[in-house]
Amino acid sequence: MSTLLDSALSAVELAERMGADASSVAVSRSRGVDLEWRDGALERVTEKTRQSLSAEIYVNGRYSASSTSDLRPDALARFFEDAVAMTRLLEPDPHRGLPDSVRYEGRADVDLDLYDESAAHVDSLERRDRVQRLEALVRESGANLPIVSVSSNISDGIGESARVHSNGFIGQRKVSSFSASAMLTVLDDDGRRPMGWDYTYRRHQEDMDSLDWIAKKACQRAAAQLGSGRVQTGKYTVVIDSRAIGRLLGALLSPISGSLIQQRRSLWEGRLGTQITSPLITIFDEPHRPRSLGASLWDSDGFATRSRPIIEKGVLSTYLIDQYYARKMGVEPTGGDTHDLDFALGTQDLNGLVTNAQNGLLIERFLGGNSNETTGEISLGCAGRFIRNGQLAEPFAEANLAGHFGDIWNGLIALGNDPNPNSPMGCPSCVFENIQLSGT
Amino acid sequence: MSDANRVNLSPFGHSAGDSIVRSKSEDGLGYFAHFGVDRNLIQTSFEKALSSGGDWAELFFEHRVAHHVGLQDGAVNRAFSAISLGVGIRVIKGDQTGYSYTEDLSRKSVLDAAATAAVVANGAPRLDPIALNSTPTPDRYPVDIEWSTVGIDEKMPILNAVNEKVFSADSRIIKVQVGFANSEGAVFIVDSDGNMRFDRQPMTRISVSCTAEKNGRRESNSMNLAGRQGFEFYTPDRIDGLANEAVKRTAFLFDAKPAPAGSLPIVLAAGSSGILLHEAIGHGMEADFNRKNISVYSDKLNQPIAPDTVTIVDDGTQAQARGSINIDDEGRTGQRTVLVENGILRTYMHDRISAKHYGVEPTGNGRRQSFRHAPLPRMRNTYMMPGPHDPEEIIGSVKRGIYAETFTNGQVMIGAGDFTFYIKTGYLIEDGKLTQPIKDTNIIGNGPDVLQKTDMVGNDFKFDEGGWVCGKDGQSVPVSLGMPTVRVSDITIGGVNEGGL
Repeated sequence: MSTLLDSALSAVELAERMGADASSVAVSRSRGVDLEWRDGALERVTEKTRQSLSAEIYVNGRYSASSTSDLRPDALARFFEDAVAMTRLLEPDPHRGLPDSVRYEGRADVDLDLYDESAAHVDSLERRDRVQRLEALVRESGANLPIVSVSSNISDGIGESARVHSNGFIGQRKVSSFSASAMLTVLDDDGRRPMGWDYTYRRHQEDMDSLDWIAKKACQRAAAQLGSGRVQTGKYTVVIDSRAIGRLLGALLSPISGSLIQQRRSLWEGRLGTQITSPLITIFDEPHRPRSLGASLWDSDGFATRSRPIIEKGVLSTYLIDQYYARKMGVEPTGGDTHDLDFALGTQDLNGLVTNAQNGLLIERFLGGNSNETTGEISLGCAGRFIRNGQLAEPFAEANLAGHFGDIWNGLIALGNDPNPNSPMGCPSCVFENIQLSGT
Repeated sequence: MSDANRVNLSPFGHSAGDSIVRSKSEDGLGYFAHFGVDRNLIQTSFEKALSSGGDWAELFFEHRVAHHVGLQDGAVNRAFSAISLGVGIRVIKGDQTGYSYTEDLSRKSVLDAAATAAVVANGAPRLDPIALNSTPTPDRYPVDIEWSTVGIDEKMPILNAVNEKVFSADSRIIKVQVGFANSEGAVFIVDSDGNMRFDRQPMTRISVSCTAEKNGRRESNSMNLAGRQGFEFYTPDRIDGLANEAVKRTAFLFDAKPAPAGSLPIVLAAGSSGILLHEAIGHGMEADFNRKNISVYSDKLNQPIAPDTVTIVDDGTQAQARGSINIDDEGRTGQRTVLVENGILRTYMHDRISAKHYGVEPTGNGRRQSFRHAPLPRMRNTYMMPGPHDPEEIIGSVKRGIYAETFTNGQVMIGAGDFTFYIKTGYLIEDGKLTQPIKDTNIIGNGPDVLQKTDMVGNDFKFDEGGWVCGKDGQSVPVSLGMPTVRVSDITIGGVNEGGL
């Protein structure tokens, strides 16, 4: 790590020599290997080695950000020289400047345990064995399915970075990542070729879902799409699987960002401290959960992170305002990032939610669509299964969910206990009432 | 995560920027000599790359400089730049690919990367020296004013002009942001057959987003234009058009409502409606999905898939267009490829691997985001040829339906064939006339089904100048679209009933 930190420290000095009044520099490098296997043969091996330096510089009240992967010393000197020259030509911005260094203090004394030593010693034969085995497990689990193709993927990597601000911030990080995924395509009677897939993605190898589990889930998802029918246009009780819910959650939360509030593009402007969702929703941002995908001791301004509420019993607790937009808005920064979201969970798993819903739809996938952060309209393609008499019934595809995402989250009637462990979103499966679906 | 079968299109991609390294010599060896690349390094790299018995190898050198400058709250006060330099090394053995890249062009790093890519094969080395031959490239995007000669101070008046025009066009506008991006890439591709190709790739894009307020209600919209051009792209007409259109599209939303829900006929306006082709058929025609047997079009070659008025082309040859390529990222000359001819599916879009698999010539569709990625079959500029119908006649034929005019994004599931695209603005059609404005509505359909239902094709045609970005397998590439006015007799409109129409 020391070499990256040395590079960042000397780059900050170089920026100053080239004329910057202040700067922040991050130097990173990563390496990783990715294996793709398909239908009994290795399809592709990719080895990735990356390095980059990114810098934000402040010159005479002006601001720019630049990055480069050309780290030769003479190239770096020219990089900063050009960056300073470019910055001088801009109009000044009184709100720009390094973050307030007082907020760097109080960094939590926690070992986030984001690096698994075994990442440095993954054996290439073992990788190949695992990717091959994953395909075999899919074919075994899906022995009764009309499979046309199976592919599997194994990857692992290590990333290191060092960040230095010229007003005193220093941060170093080293993380590992491991993933495995399986996909299978099945041939339906009508000629459609739906695909089922599953994956696991973790910081530590031992935390990964088993290959057997991934293979089974992928097969279940493919099988569940055979013989898809259509939904009749109408309003339904809808259960949304935790693997799909991120799309709807993203629409709800993206307008709490300081930039959208300041730019008057957010429908949540003026709604701080008011009810924006059903009282069933309580969400905390948890930055310090060990081994977690979103964990970090500092945010993108370098401020020490801490646990904080985002929504409590449906009431909006905070906007996400970084240093720049805080200065623009004349308020204190609240931190522009979220890390791992922690939901107040329900007591039932997906099956329990389906049983209670009695009749309606389970949405397992969203496809395309968009939402309007200024007005709240949302319209998303979707597919999943019918729920009849508390049981999962035949699949449906080519449907669309639409409405106002504020109304949709106000219509939430139950949360599950099953957040997706492969995502920092943390949201469990959810049940909503009176949701507009389009179909035939 | 690897979600290879889901691909999407959006106009909000990466930024673009100028060149700082200039070489008078317009060939790859000349350009990259500055970075230590020479014939000896290339020969030695191939020796390493083929040291384990690979059939074929390729070196993809790339240098790209991108700049972005932004206006917010009335001031051009932020600039971003990115320099990207490296080499991607690919070794093919049968259908298998070894890929490795490095951002350090020192001899040791490049040779290490070559040795890493070589391990995909397992056999005797191939040691014969390679005779390198340079082939000239076509010039589909000549530049009048090179980006390396244009400073931020010359771009700032354009951003300020757009800002002023937007504010003066409509007193309801309360916020404006303008982004100006330009980039210049140099790619040098050498393969073990001895082919050397070099291309310089300019790109620019300007985007404006505005927020307006009327009686306490706010609406936002955005607009962008892009092309493979130099600074001459920014004509007064283009700048005026951008500002006026952005204001028009934002103000439009005050009168618009969500569309109705359910199944209705749709008329697609000429221009960016080409998003339908990109999603409904384009991705499904990329040969990698068909080689793997996982596309809904996998067994449809030479079969009728649409009415005979439908001809669909994927074209890399249009002058200055965003999706045009002199050469693809495997060194093949960019071509015009007819995918569907009078309703008959004629060919897939191929890269080297799929063309070899099918025993056909590559179509020049092998593209990649950068040296960090292996190439894949990708679209370029995809459009439908004009047909026999008058656009008025098409609208007039619809008793009750939707007229879709502008779009934000789309997506497709390759195997199932279900695709979506999101309508930002349009109209309800009632008794053959455009009536109530509509907005923010997703459309979902199934590719083969929707093509069969494309029953009227207009005699107009419009090529879209928007800055579209196509995503597949974690890689983004610039593309464009075009379309005449078209009717689809029946499709699912993802609107709402109440408050709808």
